[in-house]
Amino acid sequence: MKEYLDIANDPILWMTALPVISVVGIQAYIFSKYAFQATKATSLTKEQCFKAIKTGAVSSIGPALSVFVVMLGMMAVIGAPITWMRLSMIGAAPTELTASTIGAKAMEIEFGSAQYDATAFASSVWTMALNGCGWLLFCGLFTHKMSNLQDKIAGGNADMMGKICGAAVLGTSSYLVISNSKSGMDKFIAALVAAVVMIFLTKLSNKMPKLKEYNLGISMVAGMFVAVLVSN
Amino acid sequence: MTENSYSYEELFTKKIVKAGRWTLLGAIPLCFIPAIYLWVKYGAIPSVQVILKGWFMIASIYGVEYFMTPLSYFPILGVSGTYMAFLSGNIANMKVPCAVVTQDVLDTKPGSHEAELVGTLGMVGSTIMNMIILTIAAIAGNKLISYFPPSIIKSFDYVLPAIFGALFSLFAVKYPKYGMFAIIVSGFIVLVLGMLPTWLIVPMCSFSSIGFAIFSSKKEMQKQQ
Repeated sequence: MKEYLDIANDPILWMTALPVISVVGIQAYIFSKYAFQATKATSLTKEQCFKAIKTGAVSSIGPALSVFVVMLGMMAVIGAPITWMRLSMIGAAPTELTASTIGAKAMEIEFGSAQYDATAFASSVWTMALNGCGWLLFCGLFTHKMSNLQDKIAGGNADMMGKICGAAVLGTSSYLVISNSKSGMDKFIAALVAAVVMIFLTKLSNKMPKLKEYNLGISMVAGMFVAVLVSN
Repeated sequence: MTENSYSYEELFTKKIVKAGRWTLLGAIPLCFIPAIYLWVKYGAIPSVQVILKGWFMIASIYGVEYFMTPLSYFPILGVSGTYMAFLSGNIANMKVPCAVVTQDVLDTKPGSHEAELVGTLGMVGSTIMNMIILTIAAIAGNKLISYFPPSIIKSFDYVLPAIFGALFSLFAVKYPKYGMFAIIVSGFIVLVLGMLPTWLIVPMCSFSSIGFAIFSSKKEMQKQQ
């Protein structure tokens, strides 16, 4: 084991990661409190609110697990506490890996090589933090301004707002489907099977509304299952 | 504006902007605690030049994304969703699917207040779940991985294409015309134009579809008149 890894897995480093992770948790708590309070101005019931939280939680099991293998790879180089912190906040795994590699590169050292020492590790930690702050700063300062911009485009028309949202989902998800499946036929099959199963389930859940909250999970697992079969 | 939406603004949007601002800006100094600890405890710190060089190099890769990603996803996430997603991360692969699927499951009207609240709560659920799984994986991941059969590990590779495929068809059923347009344009951009950087491709795909939606629904309205 390389010496710097003792530093990278220092128990106190977990404590230093805790404040920022707490902010993520506190924000989730505050936002849910406000959302519950605001239901007064809408037609939503408390039960629907709890169902929304549950649906969000269930739907994110798949994506959270998908990071697992990359996460172990990251932990082997930059230790568990920093990996835990960086993946709990802005910057998905590929972004953080790029930033920690760049941090080492700034010292002319290869990420994870024998020369990668405590100072290079610190450099990775600095680069990841500075990178994440770009989004925090921009969104912290300008999010409410973006809302004005959108109101202008949609003209305060909720129907138009819905169409804009739908088109944005279609635009980004079709990009993500194509860029994620161009690396192999098996990935394309995963996307295709999940898409077809989703269409089928959407039709079916018109008759069986209870099924609806599992639609994403079921289509995802179906796509994964067929892709594994095909790739073997 | 009706009285109802005025009180919604008072009840939700204003409070969210305030809380969103201090959580995001407040998180910035906290991000540096580990780096400062490494410096104080172990004297492990690169020179200022190296830090600035690393910052410059990483900003030259992601700098444009600092504002292009929030702008691209804002029409989906809205005010509260943007504050949440850009603090807790995993935007395209987790927050966006969770928010829109939750809105769909609860049958809220797209663009309505109900949809915003439900989307926010879906993202709360997703943030909590992500924290639980990450914490377990960070503490016990190396032990856990040996319990998974290789085919399960292999199947993790397919989570992302499968999720995006499902998400696409969920909306393509509702707006087949936009779906058609989006897949053709994205296919052209990714496969033909190919080498463009991500910060340019994502907004191109998102905004061209939005532009098409606005254009075609205005045309429909004109026809009806």
